[in-house]
Amino acid sequence: MKEEATKKTLLVLGIIFMLVFCIAPFVWMITVSLSRNPDFLSGGVDFGATLANYVDVLTIKSLHFLEYLRNSLAVSGIVAAACAIVAALSAYAVSRLEFRGRLVLSLAVLAFSMFPQISLIGYLYKLMRTAGLINTYVALVFPYIAWTIPLGFWILLSYMMQIPKDLDDAALADGAGRFLIFRRIILPVAAPGLLSAVLLVFIAAFNEFLFALMLTTDQSARTIPVGIALFEGLHGQIPWGYIMAASTIASLPLVILAVFFQKYVIQDVTRGALKG
Amino acid sequence: MKLKALSGRRQERVAYLFILPLAAVIVLFIVVPVIGTFWTSLFKDVTYLPTEFAFLSNYKRLFTDSNFYQSLRFTLLFVATTIPIEMVLGMIFALILNERLRYRNALRATVLIPWAVPTIVAARTWELIYNYGYGLANYILALLHVSGDPVNWLGSPVSAFFALVLADVWKTTPFVAIILLAGLQTIPEEIYEQARVDGTNLFQRFFKITLPMLRPVVAVALIFRSIDTIRILDLIYVVTDGGPGGSTTSLSLYGYKYFNEGDFGYGSAIAVVLFILAFLLSVSYLRIGGFSRDLG
Repeated sequence: MKEEATKKTLLVLGIIFMLVFCIAPFVWMITVSLSRNPDFLSGGVDFGATLANYVDVLTIKSLHFLEYLRNSLAVSGIVAAACAIVAALSAYAVSRLEFRGRLVLSLAVLAFSMFPQISLIGYLYKLMRTAGLINTYVALVFPYIAWTIPLGFWILLSYMMQIPKDLDDAALADGAGRFLIFRRIILPVAAPGLLSAVLLVFIAAFNEFLFALMLTTDQSARTIPVGIALFEGLHGQIPWGYIMAASTIASLPLVILAVFFQKYVIQDVTRGALKG
Repeated sequence: MKLKALSGRRQERVAYLFILPLAAVIVLFIVVPVIGTFWTSLFKDVTYLPTEFAFLSNYKRLFTDSNFYQSLRFTLLFVATTIPIEMVLGMIFALILNERLRYRNALRATVLIPWAVPTIVAARTWELIYNYGYGLANYILALLHVSGDPVNWLGSPVSAFFALVLADVWKTTPFVAIILLAGLQTIPEEIYEQARVDGTNLFQRFFKITLPMLRPVVAVALIFRSIDTIRILDLIYVVTDGGPGGSTTSLSLYGYKYFNEGDFGYGSAIAVVLFILAFLLSVSYLRIGGFSRDLG
């Protein structure tokens, strides 16, 4: 059939384009990270396959890469855990309790996620400076929790809306308190949602740039994105080999996670935007 | 009746306790800072200088600041250029990913790669791709014999603009594709079967069935992406830092530059303008998304 043939041709062309488009820059990043000469594309320059960039990035103290990595993991980890708990508590209330302002609260939380970060950072900077917290984890953790909570809240809300309220009612009849029900019954049932929230919030916190750029000043609190953006060589030139090696180390775990949990990521990203 | 009212009030108290941590963190670190930014925009507030109430003078300065107009124009133009490209490309990807193909899961995973890569990492990668002497972009041009001389991608306002567009489209199209894919999955197969029986062709079915049925999802993706793009900063900070000649300075980046110099009053005024633009978009998003309906 003619139409089937047209469709097949379009599909094959589309798939080729899609794959090249999505993969090429990522492959290029890894390729440069494995080369001794980032300018290997210009004529007469050897590719010089090497792992030296990785070894250097991980061992040269003055590059501070491991410290940035430690800061990013610590801050994102704390934020993901705290955010999931706070979000779960409020999602529980909104999904099962009657109270005034229930709808307004949910919409407001959604609206807050759309505020431009630049409209917060001036005040946050002054606040943290006054409190003497510039360049500490604390200065990042609290704004990050506030910043990522809409994401966690809406993911958990859409999970909890699907959990039958009969579960609560049965426990209430047995005389259990609300907090006990939340901790012992709803939280375990909502565990997959909790995991998704932790994962997506972690990724969001790990990637955050502007707050970290303004609220940290050196390796004692600076995170990976700021480190990579401000990476400077030991000798003035842009050290592309190092930058691409650092970039690969920073993104490979996230890419592997996303590829591995493809089904869940697609589901949860959709939940975040379309609400189930 | 009385008992029920009582338990209702008690339930309300319990609910507020559950919500307290969320409310506290949002009020302290989002609501108060936004109000603070509005307030600061009314002051002459520069580090090391005495702070003075200046009422609307920062806003008056905006009106005569040609750099501000330039960044406003850039930001709106950037949104207006990237979003349609993302939507079309995202739609094509979503249609492909919705097909029953043998390697469908592998394809879906591949499309997630740009989404999973941190924005700053993507930005530095594209910065290197656009490198004049040894970047991938000029290498491909030379390979295809399109142009004899290498192009200085980030050197002219127009090419820098499109360089940023391409980098942003790369990073964000997967998100659009995922959202549209979710919409595609809700269209029942029978509708297509019926249309096929009625003798429609591939393109008629797309324009007469798929697109109209996908309209609400497209609208959500469109506004969601617009809100995200209008506040863009990190990609531009790395790839062009607003150059050449300030031509690719987004409103966020323009505001940041003043904060970074310690001019909090003027920086806040810029932030307020962006806030209002984003807020207007958010209101339309909340209306179109139909969220209140879901919560009943």
